[in-house]
Amino acid sequence: MKRTMDRRVIQVTWVLFGVLSVACQSQAQNAQTPYPSMAPIEQYLMADRNAEIALARSAAPESVSRDAEVLVLGRHGYETAVKGKNGFVCAVERSWMAPFDDPEFLNPDQRLPLCLNPPAARSHLPLTFKMTELALAGLSGTQMFDSIKAAFDKKELPLPEPGEVCYMMSKQQYFGRKYGNADPHLMFWVPKTDDIFWGAGLPGSPVYVHQYSPEPITEFIISVSKWSDGTAAPTD
Amino acid sequence: MNRKLVKTIACFALAVVLGGPWQARALDTKTPYPTMAPIEQYLMADRNAEIALARSAAPESISRDAEVLVLGRQGYETAVKGKNGFVCMVERSWTAGIEDPVFWDPKIRGAICLNPPAARTVLPITLKKTELILAGRSKAQMSEGIKDAFDKRELPAVESGAMSYMMSRQAYLGDSAGHWHPHLMFFAPETDAVTWGADLPGSPILTFGYSQDRLTVFLIPVAKWSDGTADLTDKH
Repeated sequence: MKRTMDRRVIQVTWVLFGVLSVACQSQAQNAQTPYPSMAPIEQYLMADRNAEIALARSAAPESVSRDAEVLVLGRHGYETAVKGKNGFVCAVERSWMAPFDDPEFLNPDQRLPLCLNPPAARSHLPLTFKMTELALAGLSGTQMFDSIKAAFDKKELPLPEPGEVCYMMSKQQYFGRKYGNADPHLMFWVPKTDDIFWGAGLPGSPVYVHQYSPEPITEFIISVSKWSDGTAAPTD
Repeated sequence: MNRKLVKTIACFALAVVLGGPWQARALDTKTPYPTMAPIEQYLMADRNAEIALARSAAPESISRDAEVLVLGRQGYETAVKGKNGFVCMVERSWTAGIEDPVFWDPKIRGAICLNPPAARTVLPITLKKTELILAGRSKAQMSEGIKDAFDKRELPAVESGAMSYMMSRQAYLGDSAGHWHPHLMFFAPETDAVTWGADLPGSPILTFGYSQDRLTVFLIPVAKWSDGTADLTDKH
């Protein structure tokens, strides 16, 4: 009898331990991934189309974005809102373009306006469109990761071209609670390479680096001193 | 920013073909440096000082392991062997454009650190120009020599990803420019400036290019000198 009781106590203890463990793990995971799945699509959309166009254009100085093509996000993906004349394309990317391991991945508040020069538009936009398609289809982060990896493996997505430049100089950009609107910067994508290629990520270097995964792409980032509206950015 | 000044000061790794020798001579009469000064004025007596100046072009984290070249009477010599593929040196005035009034300014000290692709494909242009100048060639002959070298494929085409650091507080880029601003330079095959959105109002990217060198150079000023101090001169 006592043995039976003991066994029951042990069993209950294990069950409780298990429940608590799962709860704790879940809490820890949520702390690391506060956005474990897609929010309702409405939260990613901007109700005011003109506001989205203006936000997209604010990624670069007006002299660059004025004649750029502008894309806006609809329920089924990006649509051309304004045709361009200079080969640049401006859009507001959403949080599914953040790195998969970024805590802001799938944060519905994130707004990432950028303007891509012609080579960047050719090679980066297909990735944006693919990620958007997967996100809007409701795939999990893991499924998106696998799908993007497969697409690069099969060469369905292009590698960066020489001479790619991306402007991110919008004062209204929003990366999430931790980084806010960060700072105005330029980004350069190249096929995956070492950080040292541009002396990036070393103490005192003005070049920052992000190694994408699973995309075989290296992103170099250089901060600039002014926002696209000409106002000075914080020095640090 | 004065675009003409940028052309004047920005890159001492380049030269220009403007026209015939008579044209160069006509321009020479208007410059305070009409002819080459005695070679001693271009040399730095203190070899260690030249090594330190060369290294100051990039943060210590990069230049510490770079190869360092110093100028001798016959050309550049390796003073320090490198480990990270970067090459640092102090360029002299003849790497400016041949129409540039500073072309023979013996005070010019253009400290620069080139990343590996630039060391492979841009540095040979500087070395060739230096060889020709120190052999007593005129500006026009130097230009012709560079053109011939490209035509004969003795000089390579610029590699994708070639860039350099010019962040030395001690550099001297001419009577008008002084130290100018710390900046990065990106080398590309001859490219329309608008492809990068360069030289447009509000753009943080400046450019110049010389057909003779078969390059377009894009400049991006950065906030700090290589020693970590802020660039307090007028906002770029």
